[in-house]
Amino acid sequence: MVRALIYALLIAVSFIMLYPMLWMVASSFKPDNEIFTSTSLIPQDFSLDAYRRGWTGLSVGFGQMFLNSLLISVLVVIGNLFSCSMAAYAFTRLRFKGRGFWFALMLGTLMMPQHALLIPQYVMFLKLGWVNTILPLVVPKFLAIDAFFIFLMVQFFRGIPRELDEAAIMDGAGPLRIFLKVILPLSMPVLATAAVFSFIWTWDDFFAPLIYLNDIQNYTAQLALRTFVDATAQSDWGALLAMSTLTVLPIFILFILFQRLLIEGIATTGMKR
Amino acid sequence: MTTLSLSKIQKRFGAAEIIRGVDLQIGSGEFVVFVGPSGCGKSTLLRMIAGLEPISGGELSIGGKRMNEKAAAERGIAMVFQSYALYPHMSVYKNMSFGLETARMPKAEIDKRVRKAADILQISQLLDRKPKQLSGGQRQRVAIGRAIVRDPKIFLFDEPLSNLDAELRVQTRVEIARLHADIGATMIYVTHDQVEAMTLADRIVVLRAGVIEQQGTPLEIYNRPVNRFVAGFIGSPKMNFLDVRAVASGSNGLAIDLAGSAVVVPATDTPAPGEKLSLGVRPEHIRIGESRGLKLGSLTVVHVEHLGGQTIAYGRLADRQSMTVALEGQQRIAAGDVLDICTGPEHCHLFDSEGRRVDG
Amino acid sequence: MSAVAAFELKAPRDRSGLREQLAGYGFLAPWLIGFFALTLGPALASLYFSMTDYSGMSAPNWVGADNYLRIATDDPRFWTAMNVTFTFVLLSVPLKLLFALAVAVALNKGLRGLSLFRAIFYLPSLVGGSVAIAVLWRQVFAGDGLLNQALNGLFGYEGPSWISNPSYSLYTIVLLAVWQFGSAMIIFLAGLRQIPQDMYEAASIDGAGRSRQFFKITLPLLTPVIFFNAVILTIDAFKAFTSAFVISDGTGGPIDSTLFYTLYLYQEAFINFRFGYASALAWVLVLIIAFFTAMSFLTARFWVHYDD
Ligand SMILES: Nc1ncnc2c1ncn2[C@@H]1O[C@H](COP(=O)(O)OP(=O)(O)OP(=O)(O)O)[C@@H](O)[C@H]1O
Ligand SMILES: [Mg+2]
Repeated sequence: MVRALIYALLIAVSFIMLYPMLWMVASSFKPDNEIFTSTSLIPQDFSLDAYRRGWTGLSVGFGQMFLNSLLISVLVVIGNLFSCSMAAYAFTRLRFKGRGFWFALMLGTLMMPQHALLIPQYVMFLKLGWVNTILPLVVPKFLAIDAFFIFLMVQFFRGIPRELDEAAIMDGAGPLRIFLKVILPLSMPVLATAAVFSFIWTWDDFFAPLIYLNDIQNYTAQLALRTFVDATAQSDWGALLAMSTLTVLPIFILFILFQRLLIEGIATTGMKR
Repeated sequence: MTTLSLSKIQKRFGAAEIIRGVDLQIGSGEFVVFVGPSGCGKSTLLRMIAGLEPISGGELSIGGKRMNEKAAAERGIAMVFQSYALYPHMSVYKNMSFGLETARMPKAEIDKRVRKAADILQISQLLDRKPKQLSGGQRQRVAIGRAIVRDPKIFLFDEPLSNLDAELRVQTRVEIARLHADIGATMIYVTHDQVEAMTLADRIVVLRAGVIEQQGTPLEIYNRPVNRFVAGFIGSPKMNFLDVRAVASGSNGLAIDLAGSAVVVPATDTPAPGEKLSLGVRPEHIRIGESRGLKLGSLTVVHVEHLGGQTIAYGRLADRQSMTVALEGQQRIAAGDVLDICTGPEHCHLFDSEGRRVDG
Repeated sequence: MSAVAAFELKAPRDRSGLREQLAGYGFLAPWLIGFFALTLGPALASLYFSMTDYSGMSAPNWVGADNYLRIATDDPRFWTAMNVTFTFVLLSVPLKLLFALAVAVALNKGLRGLSLFRAIFYLPSLVGGSVAIAVLWRQVFAGDGLLNQALNGLFGYEGPSWISNPSYSLYTIVLLAVWQFGSAMIIFLAGLRQIPQDMYEAASIDGAGRSRQFFKITLPLLTPVIFFNAVILTIDAFKAFTSAFVISDGTGGPIDSTLFYTLYLYQEAFINFRFGYASALAWVLVLIIAFFTAMSFLTARFWVHYDD
């Protein structure tokens, strides 16, 4: 009895939670007049018109923005995996002077709000002539700026038995070979988690592109969508919802493919501080 | 010929001194077993020899060359870990070839060596499997195989059998002994297991709190433990110790006062009369119901264990000192029985109040 | 010959020690460069900027504590932003925690379909920060939006435009935040899993009922996770930006009712190019967050239950 009640409640809550998103997708296939007259999740007149209007609604096609977003996100993934795994390896496996000190600082940066760093970073990138390029969005990721991922990987690396390293040392392997041939192959789960999270977060990011990208040519999909809100002056909701749907589509896909990984990633970072 | 030599080896972790000046010469082809209580530094010593742990003081040399600063791989040593430490993501073949590939050995030579080692260890049919798909015993063989392929001068084993069940343990023990006979490399082996130590070793090294208490062949250590610690540590069931006092020393030995009655045991040392001593007798050297030999008193049995081939009785002497007796075969003894026990004078070990052996 | 021997005596030790140092710092190099160039350097620079009138154009002039004084005494928009942000934090964090905990406890009853529900509840956290969802929110809470259509259809109620009404606009953003309770819920679920089942068995043998079990076992044992979630959510809430920006077209309107602190900071820095003043604002935010975090850790020992 209690069980049935809980079920009913959970189903109701999940329906309410999902409804806006489902409606967004449904409405993107509706003709404009239907959007404001129907709360239904099934379009009466199925039409791709909104997509056609949206795709070409800005002076530069949305295709270009998607490519920009894709390029940035992929580079960020590579940068994060490369630099954070190296740092995590140094912190967990190599003996050197000052390791504890640097590790404490790294944990400190986890807490450091980025806002305090923003303006000098901006000024620096401006002086380097990097503003309005993707460099400010990508290069920092090759410098392990996302301490969260270092932390995630440190937690994982600590679970790999040290005897494996020692066996490899006995086999004559140096730090680089141990890293490449033993640690990384065994860390696929955490690398995949980090990759998916950094892709999604970069894809979703709005603030950094807003600051660093001025030219519509260079816009990311998020930035383009936000510009599109102004461009349509909120009159073409169909096109807007269609483009909104498109920008979250990659995330939906990744979510469906890597659900387990994402959920476990969240759970482990929460549990093991 | 000495191949491995430790001189005044020390290890400190911060302020804690874990290995406190170890001197040891190991001959080529020798099988040396380290034993000692948990935490005495056996693994640490082994890992220093391997090159996994920096040496804080003293000198380690192999084949006459100083090795302290040499990287592990340059020492010509292979190690078998307690947990096997097989690379989980590599096949058995890859596990065995990894070290050779690291050394950039030609592919054909690698293949030859891996297959030969697999042949010796009878794991040829497992080469394509991952460690996960192997039984404990098979993993153990792969771990040994990984050591063999590199053709090292010295093998190190850190409690390699402790994760196996009893039967497999005996079997693998025999195989390790055979392997040693076959390839004739030097082997250093750490264990907790008395039987492993006694059966495998050419020489046993008994460690306590980072120092060597005694080294010698298994029988030397069994027959003439240099102190009370070694006497108690080697042998199972544990040696009995009785409190006694020296009475007088004469030409035929030392007279001691054992619970009121004077007995004479062979000894060439001459402790002062009245000095407190400890008389050690192994349970398996005690006999019952005989008139010959050295009378130890009457034992009131408290508990009996019938092992089939052996009967072990636990009891107390008249002065309440406890005593264990191990008798051959199946004996009709029960709790409450009173036994007259004795032993041969040649089986007596005397230790002074500091635990040092008293005799010649 | 003896020179070589002497060299060999000394050199090897250095070499092996050096090799480890080199390897360590080699692998750490990217992070180290990043730390100095992108964290430590900028942190110091912005501390300095915050005491200047820097605009990005001309060289900064030292003004001492003027910026901070102005924030405290002569900037009504700062206080508006504080008000908006604190309202948002104090509403969204407890609500999010409550929802996350309630749903996690319900899901932890060993229901079938757990992973499906978990996925559904988690999805909004994953997409919630995106522009698309903010756009959707604008539509849902617009005058002729989805919510009002539904209200009209169900109850015949003509709702206002929630987004453009300053009395409601902030609460739509609070709702958007609460809608994203999923990731906190997952952390709660993981925490609930770690409570040994035999504790409940022991408790029910002792005659404790369901609600007693919840308040005497589940809740106390979950306090470390609640604490963790509370700290993380609070820090995140202070940093909220995208939804407010998109929903208010970057203005923080209507009439500054959604002027989140970060939004105000952004406007001062990148619209008005008052880098000096914005740096001071940023440091005030850092101090506020640090203060909250420190307070949480200080009060933690009064209510967080640790085993050891
Ligand atoms: N990395 C380390 N840092 C600090 N102390 C250590 C370290 N490694 C070992 N020790 C200490 O050194 C002592 C010896 O440890 P070791 O592992 O050599 O013992 P062991 O004889 O192998 O014991 P066991 O039979 O239980 O394996 C122990 O007291 C241990 O706590
Ligand atoms: Mg050990």
